Amino acid sequence: MPSAADLAWLIPVLPLFGAVATGLALISFNSTINRLRKPVAVFLLTCVGAAAVLSYAVLAEQLAGAPVVEHLFIWASAGDFSLPMGYVVDPLGAVMLALVTTIALLVMVYSHGYMAHDKGYVRFFTYLALFSSSMLGLIISPNLLEIYVFWELVGMCSYLLVGFWYDREGAAHAAQKAFVVNRVGDFGLLLGILGLFWATGSFDFQGIADGLAAAISTGSVPGWAALLLCLLVFMGPMAKSAQFPLHVWLPDAMEGPTPISALIHAATMVAAGVFLVARLEPLYSQFPIVGLVIAVVGTITCFLGASIALTQMDLKKGLAYSTVSQLGYMMLAMGCGAPVAGMFHLVTHAFFKAMLFLCSGSVIHAMEDVVGHEPILAQDMRLMGGLRKKMPITSITFLIGCIAISGIPPLAGFWSKDEILGQAFISFPLLWFVGFLTAGMTAFYMFRLYFLTFEGEFRGEDKAMQAELMAAANKDTDEEHPHHAGVLHESPWSMTMPLAVLAVPSVLIGLLGTPWNSRFAALLNPEEAMEMAEKFSWGEFLPLAGASVAISASGISVAVLAYYLHRIDLSQLIAARFPTINAFFANKWYLDAINERLFVRGSRKLAREVLEVDAKVVDGVVNLTGLLTLGSGEGLKYFETGRAQFYALIVFGGVIALVMLFGVLGNPLA
Amino acid sequence: MDANLSLTAVSDTTFPWLSLIVLLPALGALIMPLLPGDATDPKASNTTSKPASQAPRNLALVFLGADFLLMLAVFSRLFDSREAGLQLVERVNWIPFIGLEWSLGVDGLSCPLVVLSGLITFLAVAASWNVQSKSKLYFALLLVQASAQGLVFLSQDFLLFFLAWELELVPVYLLIAIWGGNKRLYAATKFILYTALASLLILISGLALALSGGAFTLNLSELANRSATGNLGLLCYLGFLIGFGVKLPMFPLHTWLPDAHGEANAPVSMLLAGVLLKMGGYALLRFNVQMLPDAHLILAPALIVIGIVNIIYGALNAFAQDNVKRRIACSSVSHMGFVLVGIGAIDALGISGAMLQMISHGLIAAAMFFITGSFYERTQTLSIPNMGGLAKVLPITFAFFLASSMASLALPGMSGFVSEITVFLGIISQDGFTSLFRSITIVIAAIGLVLTPIYLLSMCRRVFFGPRIPALAKVEDINPRELTIGLSLLVPTLVIGFWPRVAIDLYEASTNALAERLVSHSVVALNPLLPVG
Repeated sequence: MPSAADLAWLIPVLPLFGAVATGLALISFNSTINRLRKPVAVFLLTCVGAAAVLSYAVLAEQLAGAPVVEHLFIWASAGDFSLPMGYVVDPLGAVMLALVTTIALLVMVYSHGYMAHDKGYVRFFTYLALFSSSMLGLIISPNLLEIYVFWELVGMCSYLLVGFWYDREGAAHAAQKAFVVNRVGDFGLLLGILGLFWATGSFDFQGIADGLAAAISTGSVPGWAALLLCLLVFMGPMAKSAQFPLHVWLPDAMEGPTPISALIHAATMVAAGVFLVARLEPLYSQFPIVGLVIAVVGTITCFLGASIALTQMDLKKGLAYSTVSQLGYMMLAMGCGAPVAGMFHLVTHAFFKAMLFLCSGSVIHAMEDVVGHEPILAQDMRLMGGLRKKMPITSITFLIGCIAISGIPPLAGFWSKDEILGQAFISFPLLWFVGFLTAGMTAFYMFRLYFLTFEGEFRGEDKAMQAELMAAANKDTDEEHPHHAGVLHESPWSMTMPLAVLAVPSVLIGLLGTPWNSRFAALLNPEEAMEMAEKFSWGEFLPLAGASVAISASGISVAVLAYYLHRIDLSQLIAARFPTINAFFANKWYLDAINERLFVRGSRKLAREVLEVDAKVVDGVVNLTGLLTLGSGEGLKYFETGRAQFYALIVFGGVIALVMLFGVLGNPLA
Repeated sequence: MDANLSLTAVSDTTFPWLSLIVLLPALGALIMPLLPGDATDPKASNTTSKPASQAPRNLALVFLGADFLLMLAVFSRLFDSREAGLQLVERVNWIPFIGLEWSLGVDGLSCPLVVLSGLITFLAVAASWNVQSKSKLYFALLLVQASAQGLVFLSQDFLLFFLAWELELVPVYLLIAIWGGNKRLYAATKFILYTALASLLILISGLALALSGGAFTLNLSELANRSATGNLGLLCYLGFLIGFGVKLPMFPLHTWLPDAHGEANAPVSMLLAGVLLKMGGYALLRFNVQMLPDAHLILAPALIVIGIVNIIYGALNAFAQDNVKRRIACSSVSHMGFVLVGIGAIDALGISGAMLQMISHGLIAAAMFFITGSFYERTQTLSIPNMGGLAKVLPITFAFFLASSMASLALPGMSGFVSEITVFLGIISQDGFTSLFRSITIVIAAIGLVLTPIYLLSMCRRVFFGPRIPALAKVEDINPRELTIGLSLLVPTLVIGFWPRVAIDLYEASTNALAERLVSHSVVALNPLLPVG
């Protein structure tokens, strides 16, 4: 009987099979398959479910101490070069497999409710299966080039899903932006991969690390070049994991359906960058400067995300910037040389952020019955409020998520975030301080979201506010929305069940990673876990943890005072007093504007100028050279008067005559 | 004549299969005038045709379908892909007076391209389902074109090759000039002037080689064994480069392509992109690389430089184009740049990548032009600013267009990725170039990978996305025939993307041999431009 690890190749193949089958059916028998919603959903759930079962089996084996399994085959070759592909199962991969399949399954169940009225229901499920397959393939990739393959494929799935509602202008732009920004990152990643192959002759993680160390010691690769290659590779994770300054695509990507925001843009794909950095640990640990760069980028991202999240009025955008900020924490951990801490935060964050996004989806779903299917209205918190009474399950799970992400013990976020801050305190105290401040901001903006959405009075019927919001977005208010004018209601079981399921790990999973007995670290890196447990002392742990809890608590208190008890008015207290800072945050640090001016318009202008040159200079010069002037001028005149095909025959005949002539002349000469 | 040369592996065949492959479509063209219906002579295009006779189209379909199946059968049975040299060789003295031989042979370089062109021509006929005007002439020309292009890829005699090269211009010229858009005469004239004048250079270079260095011969293998060196070699190399570069197309000789594509109808664009451009790349390998290795070793860096100019320049031009077909045409310029870079890499990986890029681009560009033609029949416009929201009415067309755009932007899992990454690997593993040269080449070529999604996805967005419902009457989405054509182009793209050995195995022996030959020559002629780094 083969072990689960030997069958691990099936984990991405099963969802792929499902996606290809429904995809082909969609193309060939569109209307038929679109009527078979339930069977398709059950079929694809079975595919992903089977992958999940296998993933759990793999994880169980790894927990029981099974060795790392790697299988390779030759994928392409030329000359004496050959390119192996295959799959590898190790503890890191096993954790990610279980995580991704779990969340993918729950999101699929949720989507059954969320997308129930959408015409693209079957297409949506197909994309979900395709994404799951690519993401799972990425996790079990044994080398950098194979990672790149799946890296781009998850990017394509993200493109398809962000642009899922293709008749929305915003979605179209967001999808393109996501793909192009990610390609910019992949540009660096690909160059890095190629350069590392050049330097080491390997695509394999360990092979690259060993090869590069050897190449530096023999002097065949200069140190600065090795450093450059490492940083180029890091551009990939920067784009995928939305790190400053390549984070700009992620908030826009919220144009996609909310289940996608939960699965791809919070829990799995955006974490792929962090995962890749963890995979590259043997390489990056050789270069302290790379670690520093990663840590600084992570810290900037962490602070930037939180600061923009402070002012967001769109519920999903708020959560999106929160994701940016949390991804920054993970990168900070990676930069501090603590991949286990980063991965732990990745796992806990995946659960509670997926839950938060699904809660926001549940809210939007309910809001759409009141204000219509216009995202400008359905997602704006100025129209929400008081939803707790109508949507008890959603509000409780959202609150659990808020507590978890704010870092209140014993919920999940506390353990993982505190671990990162502890590591940062040792490695880079300055960065720790920024991360520490951000923790307070996190607690504040999360509870701000909670209070604005779920507490107070419901403001959804405020027509004046609706009109104002539509006007601010330059949209036509008179546009007919399919308007139910219904009442708020809790979402169906298919949507609340995943919320309830996700709430369990959001509360409990942190306990697997307590610093004195970290089961998580024991799986990924047993030596580090032993060391952590030995070195653990309450005297060191309590002050730092206490400080973290204290700043979170003060963040929450400010939010309570401002948005629940309405004792302080922040708009007067802060926004009015420091208008520049407020505008700076509200305009997302002006990065989108810079981007638009510099790159978007710049590239358009350049392209137009090149075309001008092509049409006037290149074409002109080539046309003018030699006989062509005569030929084209005369030829054109001739053609306009008639009988075109004769000309071709003349050309053809002339050439044949030339051939004959040369032939006759040629033979005697030879 | 003695054919027992290192590049020539004569396998005895009792039956001239290659001749059959080449001549079968031409036979169809000869039968065409006998069909009942409109005109008496297929060349007399000025007679008006009566509509609704489907016989010409069906005849062309049958002949090209049979020809394609014949290719598959012959190559799968009789072609040994582990063998680097020529196979199924046929040599008959045709016109001894001028030394012209009917000499055919197939090796790894020609085999995949013959099959590719067979597939694409067949699909182009299937895509011409609704061509009614002068249909007998139209389909006869497509059949002649099929024969001519087969001859180009299989011919082993220089004159025969050249005649085929010229012969194939006539149908394409007429197909553009008669069935094209508004400015079709301008485009067709430009096409024929560029290519016909460029072929003079090919002829002169070829004859110069034939006349120099020993007995007069036109046999390609014998010419290759002679491998002319020195100034003669360089001059002939340049002649060939310009001659074939026009077809490829190579900067700055590419400006005929957007015009030709902009005016040609979709099936002819499929032929142009899927077959004609490949002739340029094939001939570069067959003549410049195989016949003139010493000159190639000297000028390879120039090819790389032109190649990266192609990649970036084509991409920027594409971004500024407002016409769907012109934009795709410029993207062809960009993608064929990778072929130049691969050939310039002078190692097994690079040449393998160039071959695969030709196969892959042939499939992908044909798919894009086909789908463009399919929605053009419904929208009657190709102007990007005048479109939008097409996805709402044509969802399956949208899926196909998006899939082929993804293939074109080198998405992994599709063939374009494998070929482009192979070219990249070919460049970096070429130790003959300095590190600086290699670095700059990869960086600039990789910028092309960033530009491609910008112009392709922004086209998708402006044509298909968005809320605007186009001013269309109720149109039907893609029909089963179009679906089959689209899948016939995209499924091979996916198969090669997932399992590239399918394609690589066909030509690997030949490209490896070609690379080894270059290596053996590099001992003699070290590249003077670039010191070993």
